[in-house]
Amino acid sequence: MPRLPLGEWVDSSVDWLQAQFSWLFDAVSTGVTGLYDGIDAVLSAPQPLLFAGILAVVAWWLRGLAPGVLAFAGFALVDSVQLWDEAMATLSLVLVATLVTLVIAVPLGIWAARSKTVSAVLRPVLDFMQTMPAMVYLIPGIIFFGVGVVPGIIATIVFALPPGVRMTELGIRQVDGELVEAAEAFGTTPRNTLLRVQLPLALPTIMAGVNQVIMLGLSMVVIAGMVGGGGLGGAVYRAIGNVDIGLGFEAGVSIVVLAMYLDRMTGALGRQVSPLGRRAAAKARAALSAKRPGAKLWAHRPQPVTALVGVVVLALVAGGTGFLGGSGTSSTTASGSGGGHGKKISIGYIPWDEGIASTYLWKELLERRGYEVDTRQLEAGALYTGLAGGQLDFQTDSWLPVTHAQYWEKYKNKLEDLGSWYGPTSLELSVPSYVKGVDSLADLKGKAGQFKGRIVGIEPSAGMMGILKDKVLKEYGLEGEYEVVDGSTPGMLAELKRAYERKEPVVVTLWSPHWAYSAHDLKKLADPKGSWGKGDGVHTLARKGFAAENPEVGAWLKNFELTEKQLTDLEAVIQKTGKGKEQEAVRTWLDGNPGLAEKLAPQ
Amino acid sequence: MSRLQADHLFKVFGRRPDEAVRRLAAGETDREELRAEGTTAAVVDAGFTVEPGQIFVVMGLSGSGKSTLLRMLNGLLEPTAGRVLFDGRDLTALSPRDLRTVRSTKISMVFQHFALFPHRNVLENAAYGLEVQGVPRAERETRAAEALELCGLSGWEKSWPDELSGGMQQRVGLARALATDADLLLMDESFSALDPLIRRDMQDQLLVLQQRLKKTIVFITHDLNEAMRLGDRIAVMRDGRIVQLGTAEDILVRPADDYVASFIQDVDRSRVLTASAVMTGGATPADCPAGCGCRPVGPDTLVADLCAVAARAPHPVTVQDSDGSVLGVVPTERLLAVMGGLGARDAGDPADAKTGTETGGKAGPETGGKADSLAAAQPKKELTARA
Repeated sequence: MPRLPLGEWVDSSVDWLQAQFSWLFDAVSTGVTGLYDGIDAVLSAPQPLLFAGILAVVAWWLRGLAPGVLAFAGFALVDSVQLWDEAMATLSLVLVATLVTLVIAVPLGIWAARSKTVSAVLRPVLDFMQTMPAMVYLIPGIIFFGVGVVPGIIATIVFALPPGVRMTELGIRQVDGELVEAAEAFGTTPRNTLLRVQLPLALPTIMAGVNQVIMLGLSMVVIAGMVGGGGLGGAVYRAIGNVDIGLGFEAGVSIVVLAMYLDRMTGALGRQVSPLGRRAAAKARAALSAKRPGAKLWAHRPQPVTALVGVVVLALVAGGTGFLGGSGTSSTTASGSGGGHGKKISIGYIPWDEGIASTYLWKELLERRGYEVDTRQLEAGALYTGLAGGQLDFQTDSWLPVTHAQYWEKYKNKLEDLGSWYGPTSLELSVPSYVKGVDSLADLKGKAGQFKGRIVGIEPSAGMMGILKDKVLKEYGLEGEYEVVDGSTPGMLAELKRAYERKEPVVVTLWSPHWAYSAHDLKKLADPKGSWGKGDGVHTLARKGFAAENPEVGAWLKNFELTEKQLTDLEAVIQKTGKGKEQEAVRTWLDGNPGLAEKLAPQ
Repeated sequence: MSRLQADHLFKVFGRRPDEAVRRLAAGETDREELRAEGTTAAVVDAGFTVEPGQIFVVMGLSGSGKSTLLRMLNGLLEPTAGRVLFDGRDLTALSPRDLRTVRSTKISMVFQHFALFPHRNVLENAAYGLEVQGVPRAERETRAAEALELCGLSGWEKSWPDELSGGMQQRVGLARALATDADLLLMDESFSALDPLIRRDMQDQLLVLQQRLKKTIVFITHDLNEAMRLGDRIAVMRDGRIVQLGTAEDILVRPADDYVASFIQDVDRSRVLTASAVMTGGATPADCPAGCGCRPVGPDTLVADLCAVAARAPHPVTVQDSDGSVLGVVPTERLLAVMGGLGARDAGDPADAKTGTETGGKAGPETGGKADSLAAAQPKKELTARA
């Protein structure tokens, strides 16, 4: 069987598309970003509890008193775990994705319902969209649309489109053929047959499709969080990366609150907007109040007018306070002196401790010097793609020459290495210190039984996994005795934590610096043969041309250096201050290190 | 001019329909052969005319092509070959837009399963055709309410279709069709989904309405009794072809072939046949003994009523015209033979029956269609008056 170069074709067509249609992708990106920013601005403007009140009134109107109260409680919970902004960002992302999806899906569904050919052509395309793993097209998405919310939204649209199309098609096809014939027999135009007969009768099914679209959209927010989509997905992604079960749960519950609210509201909306649903609801209410007069209050819902007035009043109040609040915060962020003059700089980071620490350190420093800095949390592949594409200006957490070698090889023509600011790092296998008699890699030989023959690894794509399998195991004669378990960094850390708490022997792939060394009492296995090679340096990488355009910042970054003590101190302060307050922690830390800011970023 | 004329209509579904039509027309192939090739000839060479004010019934079992034929009459289906002339206009030659205009103003349709829009109330359903025409709301609601009243549904305007019984739903369907004031009403097995009592009730009501409104109606049914009750003229379809075309009496008295004959066995002929159909023409009336209590009957007297007269008379009953001239006599044996299901064909003069084509009624072929229909309508009037 000859090797079909399918992958190469895809590679080259992605390059070709990017070259030929960059204007189109830019336009899409601008449009979607604009829509997202607009909706996010509206949703984030009101005070959280006021906005929760608005959502509760909507729930009251659509479903009744109890759902209204529960909706308020749910959103109050989101606010109290300090994930409100993230939740609103996620809500905006889902709303934008849903809107765009419906604009595409409903006409496609109508078209498919009217033409068997279209339906037959669409079906495999939809299957493809729904089952293709999102990460596969996320990275091309970044190449086309840059990092940030757009590829996340695009990925969500791709994933959520199929049910929208399918349910629309199904709904229209389900309409009784005799009714369509009746409409035609009375001389109705095809357009009016669609608008007056088919769509109204298909509406319940279409609304079920809308509901599906929203639910699938929410299920994609974590994926979106990996490419800089932020929001609750970003929080979950960060929590996974740090095995922060508490944060993960809080963010997860917030997603659930959003999901349940949107699910119940779209379900109820489906009944409210479809003529048949309205009738059924009215009937049910009449039956209920006839049976149990006491249930009336509970099932009471305001007239649409009352509900609308309630929402408008709350929105006005909210808008007023939001406006005041907004003007208050903007005056504080605009401060800062120096040569930045409000120039915008975008920093990307992988949610690893040293990445977070150095990124927020530079955010603080650059803002003090008058730059406007925006930080984006990304997955490694997305980070490099975004940097190469010029949507990010620099990142501070590139492990070279070993760990991130593959990214560097792929993008080195579009990147600029501003040098190492910390090092050397090291790669190693580690065991908990309670495992006696294993101090070096050589000691592992013959002890496979103790470790169940497993070395707990990380992502198979990671550079160190290649070194481990191809070099380290071979040189220490461990091949065949140990199996390297592919997985993920969070998985490895969770396994380490589990084993550590049960005092079970375990051997994991790890690297320094890593917070696991401060969280657990671990032992790095010595590497007398030097199989791991020399350690990496943590490099700052900028997009090509950044240093030339910003000589001042370029020079600061080239001279940037932290000692091990400084880095671990900073990381510790950030840990102690808590999530979401990284920059505050950086300020505290800088206050404790007078003169350091001047040294790192001299005026 | 006839209101509606179908001219050698063919409808073939499947591959290469035109080729199939050519072969069918030339007699090179038949329906079974085409079916084996995967082509369905739903309607084969159907032709008939419908006069204004007539109820034309197309009778056939399921799969006989009657619904397909009906849908070609208002252009819902385009004929593979042939023409449909409506008031002299060829519907098959109209643009889609003109065809829609004709459908919205001149032709309306009543469906088997009512086809009421579940998201519209009764009044909105009845007003649907007018809404399509673009009639302003106030006017169309007035006219729709009138149509509903005509169908006996006053007071139900604000109800919803699913709150009505089947019979009432079909009245809404009828009102919707009548509201547009279309001249031609196509009724597709409109009463078949109703239970027998309601069905009979609806048939009577349709006849009463028809006397007032004088619409031209094409009515599809699989029920020969219904066809006989309603039809001024009846076309019997089998396997896509019209096998007999004539009045109810023609079909009862002179079935075109065994297929039609097998149908009419179950028909209550006493309520279809009239004295003129069973009498022996040209015979001299019997001498009537004094005080025998008999009386002559008119030619349109139903056999059911004729029986009552014959039971009291010891001799054949005289049939005479309104001016007193004697048309013929009906001997009791003859009456019994007809009622016994032997059929007029066995008892009468089978030489008159022609197969496959227009069968001449008592008033002769086609030319006398109008007089024919009026004569046939007569007994039904009596019937409805009693109902």
